Amino acid sequence: MSEELAGLKEHYMRCVRCGQCRSVCPVFREIRNETVSPRGKIFLAHLLSSGEAKVNNEAASLLSQCLLCRACSVECPSAIPVHEIVTAARSLAAKKLPSPLKSLLHRKIWSSPARLNFSVSLFRHCQGLLKPAATLNLLPPALSLPGRLPRRPARPSIPGQTPASGKAKMRVGYFLGCSTNYLFPGIARSTVAVLARLGCEVVLPQELKCCGLPQLAAGEDKTAAHMASANLEAFRRLNVKVVVSDCASCTATLKESFPQNGSNGIKVLDLSELLAVLTEGNELKFKTINRVVTYHDPCHLANAQSITAAPRNLLRRICTEFREMPGAAECCGGGGSFVLHHYGTGMAILNKKILNLKKTGAETVATSCPNCIMQLRHGLLKHGSGTEVVSVVQLLAESLEITF
Amino acid sequence: MVRNKLAAGLKKIYPAGRILTGTLEKKMYSYDSSFYARFRDFIPDAVVLPRSTAEVSATMKLASEHGIPVVPRGAGSGETCGCLAVRGGIVLDFSSWDDVEEVDPENMQVFARPGVVHYQLNEHLADFGLFFPPDPGSTRMCTIGGMVANNSSGLRAVKYGTTEQYVLGLEVVLPDGRIIETGGVNCRALKNVSGLNLTKLFVGSEGILGVITMVRLRVWPRPKARGLAMAVFTDLEAAPAAVLDVYQSGILPSGIEILDSSAIHAVNLYNPAINLPEAEAILIFEVDGNPAGVTWEGEKIVEITKKRASRVEWSTEPGRMAELWRGRSVVAVAAARLRPDGSRIFAGEDISVPLSKVTEALRRIKELGRQHEITVVNYGHIGDGNIHTAPVINLDNPEEVARANALVDAIHRLAIELGGSTTGEHGVGAVRNQYAADEHGRAADIMKQIKETLDPENIMNPGKLLPPGEAGKSV
Ligand SMILES: Cc1cc2nc3c(=O)[nH]c(=O)nc-3n(C[C@H](O)[C@H](O)[C@H](O)COP(=O)(O)OP(=O)(O)OC[C@H]3O[C@@H](n4cnc5c(N)ncnc54)[C@H](O)[C@@H]3O)c2cc1C
Ligand code: SF4
Ligand code: SF4
Repeated sequence: MSEELAGLKEHYMRCVRCGQCRSVCPVFREIRNETVSPRGKIFLAHLLSSGEAKVNNEAASLLSQCLLCRACSVECPSAIPVHEIVTAARSLAAKKLPSPLKSLLHRKIWSSPARLNFSVSLFRHCQGLLKPAATLNLLPPALSLPGRLPRRPARPSIPGQTPASGKAKMRVGYFLGCSTNYLFPGIARSTVAVLARLGCEVVLPQELKCCGLPQLAAGEDKTAAHMASANLEAFRRLNVKVVVSDCASCTATLKESFPQNGSNGIKVLDLSELLAVLTEGNELKFKTINRVVTYHDPCHLANAQSITAAPRNLLRRICTEFREMPGAAECCGGGGSFVLHHYGTGMAILNKKILNLKKTGAETVATSCPNCIMQLRHGLLKHGSGTEVVSVVQLLAESLEITF
Repeated sequence: MVRNKLAAGLKKIYPAGRILTGTLEKKMYSYDSSFYARFRDFIPDAVVLPRSTAEVSATMKLASEHGIPVVPRGAGSGETCGCLAVRGGIVLDFSSWDDVEEVDPENMQVFARPGVVHYQLNEHLADFGLFFPPDPGSTRMCTIGGMVANNSSGLRAVKYGTTEQYVLGLEVVLPDGRIIETGGVNCRALKNVSGLNLTKLFVGSEGILGVITMVRLRVWPRPKARGLAMAVFTDLEAAPAAVLDVYQSGILPSGIEILDSSAIHAVNLYNPAINLPEAEAILIFEVDGNPAGVTWEGEKIVEITKKRASRVEWSTEPGRMAELWRGRSVVAVAAARLRPDGSRIFAGEDISVPLSKVTEALRRIKELGRQHEITVVNYGHIGDGNIHTAPVINLDNPEEVARANALVDAIHRLAIELGGSTTGEHGVGAVRNQYAADEHGRAADIMKQIKETLDPENIMNPGKLLPPGEAGKSV
């Protein structure tokens, strides 16, 4: 039996193959055959684990048909953590079918902030050079997802320590994730400023690595564990007890990987949880933002952390009108690198999201994950829609009249 | 040779994305939800995803030309290996053909393709204030095609009956590729007694006579109100007696469900927050209809069951009703919690007995469990004598698996002995066909003759429903 899946055996053995998970899987709903269903993935993991099937390209390709959105894990009446089983099976596949290029990317580049920084800026330069090719549709369409990268990432503009305005109520460590840093530096600035305004002293360690989710999703679990240990150490050195992030994917990952790597009392909170506490009964003046807003639930917040009410409550408090969108908790089809491998399926899932979004007639859609923001913007752009996509914290910054 | 011709033939009918031939892809069609499938390797030669009657018809023509078995498949939520290629061949996966073709509210009917999922059909109908009453526990996944083929029912069968009561007509592709319409060509009437009732022949035929490509269903106005009563019993025998009391008072609840002591215990282990009272049995009565009627019936049920129950609670408040219902809805999987290395298996899970024999059946199933040293949980639709038994075993222990098989056989034989059936709603497939001769006597021969007439080559879902060694050519 494979070591990767051995620990999960008690879970996959409990799968009664009822198929209920088919009803919520975004990939199944698009492709509509058993091979991409969550149940099918559990079955495949079982075969791979027992050695009844060999890890080969067909297996790897079937395992790649998963957004790790966890909708199935939430729906399963037997409470089977399907996403963990898929991750473990991918880890087995990564070991048996090593891809030098992917290993290089995950182990050497993404795990090192300096190399990642260099690669991102290289990508940004290439974006400029390749513009003519892009306009002629000569490039893989997924490359257009991030849009034109901002000139500068967030990190250089954020101090290692930001004092609370007024008396500090708490000291929090800010986990600045890759997507926020490279794609949406404005979100990072809003997060730090809003936290400071609400009474937090915010510290940002110099040597943070990525949260490790891309590595986990690619089956590079050892690399991910090293990164988690290094990140924990960085916060520990600064005597941080509470770590917060504006990226739901990061907080979902850290909430699991920190305890697995000895977090010793360091607690991870998603920004939306912390904001709910900090704004509760706060006598600060919140200016009402004159806008009709709706909310998209990131899978890593709703499914992975069961947080759905807090961001909505906040939006209701600061905007003139909040409208619930149909299927708000359905995945937007990004799923990290999923959309790079399965662009067509990702776009079909996204298309449903955009149609639901349009039904609300909202001018702004707020969410709590930069990866969703990237995906939603891409979809709206394709639909030629002017709807704005922002992070909840950016609206809060506006409501607190914070200017940068 | 035949397999090569098959591949070439299918390519002419389906675009590439709708034929699956990968080794692992095909293996993913070797299971449904049955226990039996876990120990077998029923792998098809090819899987196709039809989206039109013409495609199905062309596939049947190809298959009959070469004598290749064809197996229709919905969601694979069945418990009987019904949708598995027990003799290889082509699986028709209908998951992607899920159009509700037309809702005709004026005529109170709906036309649906086989892959429409049950809850989605009802979501669709809700916009018209209508609903399709049969409500299987598998509503989130099972397809209308699978429901019609299995004549499924569910929690509300007490009042609303089974799928067959709602099927007005079908479009069926016969084993030789011919297409027929049952229930009258272009007919939209609700009543029609002209001709032999072929619709009823195909409903519950488990895909052995033809492929259902369209279903015309009668639908009903949605009831305006609903209420739930939960009655707790310290004596198991008092529960079925209370059910009879309620019927005799002239009340027809929409559903009556039972959980026995092991089911109650399992639910509490699974989720302590549900906190069911530990007792010998719990009954849950559901009534629906107009608000005044629901209240009257609810109060009456409380009054009647109080005579035998230690506690009765009645609610029409949605939140509380959901809480009361939670125990029932999780029991199917909660059963596994009774032992740390346990898996709940779907086998011997669906017997149906006369109402007067429910108490005896419940007691004797427990005894059989003890004899075979296997934990069993009992729950189910007591209102119509349909008992769901959930054996809990360690799947890795071959000796225990063998004991489970013996227990399951004993449960099935018990059902026949008590004047019931081995299956109330899940069907026969390849797991209960060995009882078909005992259950049906000479009628089983007529079933064989019908099969031979429609499918002389025995290519249509062979190896299911009929007694083993069924008529026709063995493929
Ligand atoms: C958790 C759980 C709860 C359940 N609860 C209930 C319940 O309350 N009541 C109940 O009745 N059943 C219940 N079932 C059993 C099962 O869900 C039903 O039998 C269901 O109708 C099967 O539908 P399916 O789409 O999954 O069909 P499948 O399992 O794919 O197929 C079932 C049979 O139908 C045939 N078939 C499918 N489509 C067609 C077609 N288009 N033409 C011809 N033949 C076809 C197949 O060949 C097979 O013989 C339950 C199952 C589970 C796992
Ligand atoms: S819902 Fe859970 S138990 Fe059912 S098939 Fe999916 S993973 Fe298995
Ligand atoms: S995690 Fe999401 S995409 Fe993956 S199998 Fe589950 S529901 Fe499907």
